[in-house]
Amino acid sequence: MTNIIDPIAEIDEARVADQDVVIGKSRIIFRRFMRNRTAVAGLFIFLALFLFSIFGGFLTSWDKDTIDPLNIGMPPSPDHLLGTTQAGIDLMALIVDGTRTSILIGLIVGGVSVLISAVYGCTMAFFGGKVDATMLFILEALIMMPAILVVAVATSGSGGLKDLPSWLLLIVVLLFFSWMGTARLVRSLSMSLMQRDYVKAAKYMGVPSRRIVWRHLVPNIGSLLVLDFTRGITGAILAEVAFSFIGIGIKLPDISLGVLIGQATGQVSSFPWMFWVPLTVMFLLTGSLAMMNDGLRDAFDPSSSSIGRAKTKIAKKTNK
Amino acid sequence: MSTNITPAERLRDAGLYAPGDAVLSVRDLNVRFNSENGVVHAVRGVDFDLMPGKTLGIVGESGSGKSVTSMAIMGLLPETADISGSVRFKGKELLGLSDKAMCKHRGNDIAMVFQDPLSSLTPVYTVGNQIIEALTVHNPTMSKQAKEARAVELLRMVGIPSPKDRLKAFPHEFSGGMRQRVMIAIAIANDPRILIADEPTTALDVTIQAQVLEVLHTAQEETGAAVVMITHDLGVVAGMADDIMVMYAGKPVETGTVEDIYYNPRMPYTLGLLGAVPRVDTSDKQSLVPIEGTPPNLALPVLGCSFAARCPMVSDACLHGEPELIPVPGVEAQTLGHKAACIKAEELSGNADAHKIFHAPPKPVSKFDGVARVERQKVLELKDVKKHFPLLKGALIKRRIGTVKAVDGLSFDIREGECLSIVGESGCGKTTTLLEIMEFHPDQVGEVVIGGVSNKVATDHKTTMAMRKEMQMVFQDPTGALDPRFTVYEVLAEPLENLGMPKAAIRKRIMELMKLVGLQPDHVNRFPNQFSGGQRQRIGIARALAVNPKLVVLDEPVSALDVSVQAGVINLLDQLRAELGLSYLMVAHDLSVVRHISDRVAVMYLGKIVETGDVDDVFDNPRHPYTRALLSAIPVPDPNLERTRERIILQGDLPSPLDAPKGCNFATRCPVFAALPAAKQEKCLTLEPPLASEGAQDFACFFPDGEIDADMLVVHA
Amino acid sequence: MLKYLMKRSGIYLIMIFLTTSAGYFLAVSSLKPAVLEQEKIPRPTPEQVAASFRGLGLDPDLNPWERYIQWLGGIITRWDWGRSPNGAFVNAEFADRVLVSTRLFIASIILTLIIGVALGVYSAARQYKFQDRVITSYSYLVHILPAPIAYFLVQLGAIGINEAVGERIFFVTGISTPGIDPGWPAFVDMVAHYAVPTFAMTIFGWAGYQIAQRQYLLDNVNADFVRTARAKGLTRNQAIRKHALRVSFIPVAQSIAFTIPAIFTGGFFAEAIFAWPGIGLWSIQAISLQDVNVATATLAYGSVIFAIGAILADFATTLVDPRVRVQ
Repeated sequence: MTNIIDPIAEIDEARVADQDVVIGKSRIIFRRFMRNRTAVAGLFIFLALFLFSIFGGFLTSWDKDTIDPLNIGMPPSPDHLLGTTQAGIDLMALIVDGTRTSILIGLIVGGVSVLISAVYGCTMAFFGGKVDATMLFILEALIMMPAILVVAVATSGSGGLKDLPSWLLLIVVLLFFSWMGTARLVRSLSMSLMQRDYVKAAKYMGVPSRRIVWRHLVPNIGSLLVLDFTRGITGAILAEVAFSFIGIGIKLPDISLGVLIGQATGQVSSFPWMFWVPLTVMFLLTGSLAMMNDGLRDAFDPSSSSIGRAKTKIAKKTNK
Repeated sequence: MSTNITPAERLRDAGLYAPGDAVLSVRDLNVRFNSENGVVHAVRGVDFDLMPGKTLGIVGESGSGKSVTSMAIMGLLPETADISGSVRFKGKELLGLSDKAMCKHRGNDIAMVFQDPLSSLTPVYTVGNQIIEALTVHNPTMSKQAKEARAVELLRMVGIPSPKDRLKAFPHEFSGGMRQRVMIAIAIANDPRILIADEPTTALDVTIQAQVLEVLHTAQEETGAAVVMITHDLGVVAGMADDIMVMYAGKPVETGTVEDIYYNPRMPYTLGLLGAVPRVDTSDKQSLVPIEGTPPNLALPVLGCSFAARCPMVSDACLHGEPELIPVPGVEAQTLGHKAACIKAEELSGNADAHKIFHAPPKPVSKFDGVARVERQKVLELKDVKKHFPLLKGALIKRRIGTVKAVDGLSFDIREGECLSIVGESGCGKTTTLLEIMEFHPDQVGEVVIGGVSNKVATDHKTTMAMRKEMQMVFQDPTGALDPRFTVYEVLAEPLENLGMPKAAIRKRIMELMKLVGLQPDHVNRFPNQFSGGQRQRIGIARALAVNPKLVVLDEPVSALDVSVQAGVINLLDQLRAELGLSYLMVAHDLSVVRHISDRVAVMYLGKIVETGDVDDVFDNPRHPYTRALLSAIPVPDPNLERTRERIILQGDLPSPLDAPKGCNFATRCPVFAALPAAKQEKCLTLEPPLASEGAQDFACFFPDGEIDADMLVVHA
Repeated sequence: MLKYLMKRSGIYLIMIFLTTSAGYFLAVSSLKPAVLEQEKIPRPTPEQVAASFRGLGLDPDLNPWERYIQWLGGIITRWDWGRSPNGAFVNAEFADRVLVSTRLFIASIILTLIIGVALGVYSAARQYKFQDRVITSYSYLVHILPAPIAYFLVQLGAIGINEAVGERIFFVTGISTPGIDPGWPAFVDMVAHYAVPTFAMTIFGWAGYQIAQRQYLLDNVNADFVRTARAKGLTRNQAIRKHALRVSFIPVAQSIAFTIPAIFTGGFFAEAIFAWPGIGLWSIQAISLQDVNVATATLAYGSVIFAIGAILADFATTLVDPRVRVQ
């Protein structure tokens, strides 16, 4: 307390000005994630599939609309790396297209539903009282509705929604039913955060509510939202496959992994590659996401075992 | 360990255990845990002998290894722990026994009472079931009726009213104090020879603590068990223990009789601890003894004396080799023999002054000290503030079934440079009072005036902001009060940015603040979890001071801190008040801290102030029976005094504010009321005593200084 | 207690009413049975179609609100849930469909529950050991496998066994063989039909319970009250068995009550894959036949089951947790 030397303070001021600290925080999480090998492997598989779904078309000279009359229902060959369908269409081209649809559905549903649940949940927690009670009632009523029926009605009906492409329709419907659970979580988490002493302290300092939400609430529920994003992607991809498999999700001419798997069920014994290849791709996709999710959870979890090492490293860095 | 048994020990193994021998002897007990940061050596060579019927107090701060020691004795440590040494019960080695073999001893020969009564009972079984379980385990042949009768007897012994009916109650239907009584009943069910109590009263209010300590005393008398009392509170063991073992960094650093330790400490750490505790019974207005620094990291090897880094008497010799626990030179051996692990033990003989050795700062002098109270300005004034919560029932349509009067007509003021403390049991409304003041809203019942601004006119943002600049708050839990995602810089910048201060000025102010609260300015880039509890509380104080307030509201500012750290924070608060001319409004349950830091005190009971005045007047001459009971419940770290003084033990818990009676709120538990003749009792039951001035202080009682009911008075001779 | 349950039932009744009404509007505005009628041979005129639908209470010329009032009136006054475009009464077929679904799910629900909870306890007791890793990894694997594909894979396996043996041991679809003799042959036939769906739903169903039970038990094995029990003289295993296990049942009981309706209403996949004409399959068929009334009725059934599950969850919690027992 008495041995303060001014130069130290000056160096320190310079460091604070560099905003070195803020970068440090995301760096900790990134480092913890990268330390988890499974998670990194998951990330690589996912990225590879993502790239495949965009640029995979270059791996084959065929496209999904062209019939190869010389190779109808052929197993994998140098000409058709993954074989062809019984209609003579290159399976590789179909898989590229289907993977893209599945990833697209996953990303959009995962992202938008997290956004909806964050806004809805925070609103409930922040206003409380009657607003909260009403919004909670709506939420629970929506949870009560069997989602699958609504999916079926919306995608099979002949109403105005019918004009949308089936993948977009499925996205809308999946979105409608995917955000309630998270919204409830966000609500209870924000409510408990608002009771924290540091939020009270900010309030007693006269910090405006908007700022409190932005600076204290959002960063603290951020980890929940990121985790829910990856979970949401997995959920949407699985739902798409399940619905399309029994014929109420994506409809031809749109192609998705679910459609490809579903179509192939009739000829598993005669055209096995048509069934197992898209199934494997789906497994890689959902599996890689599950692996990433695991690593993300560890990276965000303050009580995770890897935090100890991360903390000492940071401490050493700032100590210098 | 078992390979080098001495012949004498072999004799004891053969059953030649003499009754006069120790009932429990621990030799060279070491416990290691694997952790992320390497192997933590949590207990490093503990030796002690516990004589039948005696009480050993193990004193230490968090992380000193005292609880791990007790768990190792009980065989309750996880399998992954590496335990070595020897623990002998009546000569029989307990270490290395299988879980099953150890079960014959646990609960039968050695029983234990844990710290947190709220989580220590299984929520889904009745209390009776859990007591009977303890009987069944060790007496499988006992009949059901006999077990039930014994359970009732046990509950009666620990002072639970209508024990027969309460057997069928579930733990959640009991208060914390009552649950701790049940825990004691379970522990003594099989007349154990040894009773280990691990911080049994830490989670409880002082009045309840007094009750539970009394129950423990009774339990010991009834069973004749030897007691190991583990605590961080030097007051709690002063009156109970025969011997004391002080632990630091996993090792006993001083052992001896109670008198040895309290009146003739030979280890600087013990000396510092004793000086760090404020006293409730004296008005010594000097600083507390601060012990700077933090205990060593036990994942690293300890090369020299483990206390060297914090010891003011440290010399080069202390850094080479850890000192052994050896008999203090020049003291004749008693039960345990007075031993200390310090090469300077001899230098400390006689009347060593902790204040001098630890360089305690002089008591700071404030510019207001010489000014009479009436001449100072009021910084805070409360006029008849009330906070009533409606108690509702029903899910859809809510019916009001009553009113909880959490704060019921509070009026007081705080002048410049003074500290007012509100004291009382949890649930008395003291925290609600703070929240009401901090809320500062025109719709409140009653008037709150802060720095001349009344809540009644605080309708716009500007007025509120002006008031927020006048008053800031320090929270109880230093960890919860700091956003874990903020660096210290961001924490301290928040109030300043809110005032619209320019960046350069903020930076300068933060550096000032860091120095002001005794933190290194180059630590501003760290996160809160990289600091110790005491340092975090200093950050909290710095944040409160950032906007230069006149009044700081302190909500239990030191109750979450270890004793040695607590002293440093209290000294800092003292110093800041004097230097900056601050006023404090403090809520605290520790009356010793209150006495040390405050000028004035207000005692609250069920939402009302029952006594208020200058702290010395109230503490030296309490008039209201509740104040008298509260003060007498505080244990003092002075064995002789503690053994002989009279104690008022209040009956029962704080009643719910809902059941507040018509007359005096306190009548249901009042020790004076209980002794009054029926004619006078009538007055207490029908009229509410007003808070009136008499003598030096104000109090609300018709029969001050009345005779105390004999049943509620206890003296241990 | 009873009063509390009544009140909860009241709230759920309102919710069921709202969701069913919302479902009706969705169905009535997107399902147009007339379009299908036009594909019939000989092709009926629009007037004929409208007239026949008017007779069934499905007048396509009324606006959704008028049809809703008509439909609701039928339910309230006569408990009549309306008719299909082919003239069949919803009420008449409903009971059969519910019975088929219940028969399909009941065995697997019980098995799933017992196996899931048992494996959860077993894996928690062997945390991080080989058995735990295998059991828990399996449960996580099931999570990334869509149910219909999982069932289909089991079907493939059963067909494989049939082919390998050269005899039809298992039926992979349908409820029973038509025209089978009663008695022993009928029983064998029933078992042969039951085996595959029950097996499939069980092995892919217990994962959720296993993970939940394992987690809740692990949360409790180091609880203070377990330590107290050990301090009394119980061994670690006894203390966990008597104290931690019982407490860990509290959240599990709650989730079980909630997942039972999810199995019933989420059973579309199983019914579709194994071709059991239960309520789930009915609803899908209804939608492809543009049948407004059947679609709404199955949706209402789903909501009712959910409400029953929620009330059951409350009830289960009060049963295992004395803290929430209403005095």
